[in-house]
Amino acid sequence: MESFKKRRLVIKGFLINEVAFSEATLITRNSLTLDKKYQTGSLDSSHELMKSYEDHVHSYETRAIYPDERDIQVNSIMDFVPVSTKVLGKMGEGISHTLMGVTVMLTGIDSEGVQAAEFGSSEGILQEQVSWGKPGTPNHNDIIIHVDVTLKEGSTKIRDGINRCHELCDEIVGSIRRALKKLDGRSCDERHEFYDEIKPGGKKVVILKQVAGQGAMSDTRLLSKEPAGYESGRSIIDLGNLPVLLTPNEYRDGALRAMH
Amino acid sequence: MGIGPSTKETTLHHFRDPILDVVSRDADIDLLGVVVVGTPQVNEEKYFVGKRTATWIEAMRADGVIFSVDGWGNSHVDYENTFREIGQRGIPAVGLSFIGTQARFVVENEYMDTVVDINKNQEGIETEVVGENSLVNLDARKALALLKLKMKLKMRKGNTK
Repeated sequence: MESFKKRRLVIKGFLINEVAFSEATLITRNSLTLDKKYQTGSLDSSHELMKSYEDHVHSYETRAIYPDERDIQVNSIMDFVPVSTKVLGKMGEGISHTLMGVTVMLTGIDSEGVQAAEFGSSEGILQEQVSWGKPGTPNHNDIIIHVDVTLKEGSTKIRDGINRCHELCDEIVGSIRRALKKLDGRSCDERHEFYDEIKPGGKKVVILKQVAGQGAMSDTRLLSKEPAGYESGRSIIDLGNLPVLLTPNEYRDGALRAMH
Repeated sequence: MGIGPSTKETTLHHFRDPILDVVSRDADIDLLGVVVVGTPQVNEEKYFVGKRTATWIEAMRADGVIFSVDGWGNSHVDYENTFREIGQRGIPAVGLSFIGTQARFVVENEYMDTVVDINKNQEGIETEVVGENSLVNLDARKALALLKLKMKLKMRKGNTK
């Protein structure tokens, strides 16, 4: 059957097998270094990044967890996030660069020990609290960039508090995105091409997804500036939970951010 | 009740959603798009967004719908209603939901006869292990196969409803 190809999305994958902290966020060959200013921050420090989050955030810590280091205690897992960035075009078309071999993990708790969770929480030994290698979890050999946020007392139950966790995490990921944008596309390790297409004569099918939209730890953000990002996205709660139509390419380019 | 760790669709899950992968690769399917609808708290709102969704899908002249839900319990109230709205418009729909032993539908209707249970746990419960009961490629393939069957049956019966 002949199809009419419309918008093209190219996703270029870059493999990372080393993550460390240094003076600046850089990607060289298969190695990612993160600016050490993102490593820790707390209210009592004079940290630049913390200033804009002090309404809800008490402190945060970022670390790299290698596959053989998962036998550690972590707070409730709020999200696993891919690192991807637009290089050309807007969400759903053009070119995106995506890191392979690394996944960001966001965990959260408040200063009184209340986990950031709504309907069951997943704190515990990391190795045991995740079913690895699923579509929504890191692969068995992925390095995890762990962003652990401690909110002020009570903020895990407030929508703004949860939003701030994601925003802070997104800002840290943002520094990696800026480095990822600069990579020469020709040096990618994988290249995938997708089209939004019309297949005349084919059965017309809609994918319908019912997502979270009830408040703190139950929200979904759509169409942020960057793939799987937070900044400038629209909350489905603020959109009245009404249906939003995405093209297949917008969806696979990271139009949704899970906020639960 | 809402969304537990074992079923929750993380941002990474959306990024590499098996439903999109399976449906968009199928040469016989003309994928119209991905409709995302929220789960409001108040019943009146649940009915409102469900009806708007079904109205839209009907206007898209869809032959079929694959309908997944993140969460259970309270979320199944919305799910049942949206299923009904789509079904009453004569559009075949196949669902994907965590059911197991713990999340049997609190409400259901005649249009929910083909819902793939994405439970992976032996006891059929929310385990608080992230990703354990999330939907995988095989679930998506089952759903698409069921939808093809349902659409075929409808063709045979004629397009009256």
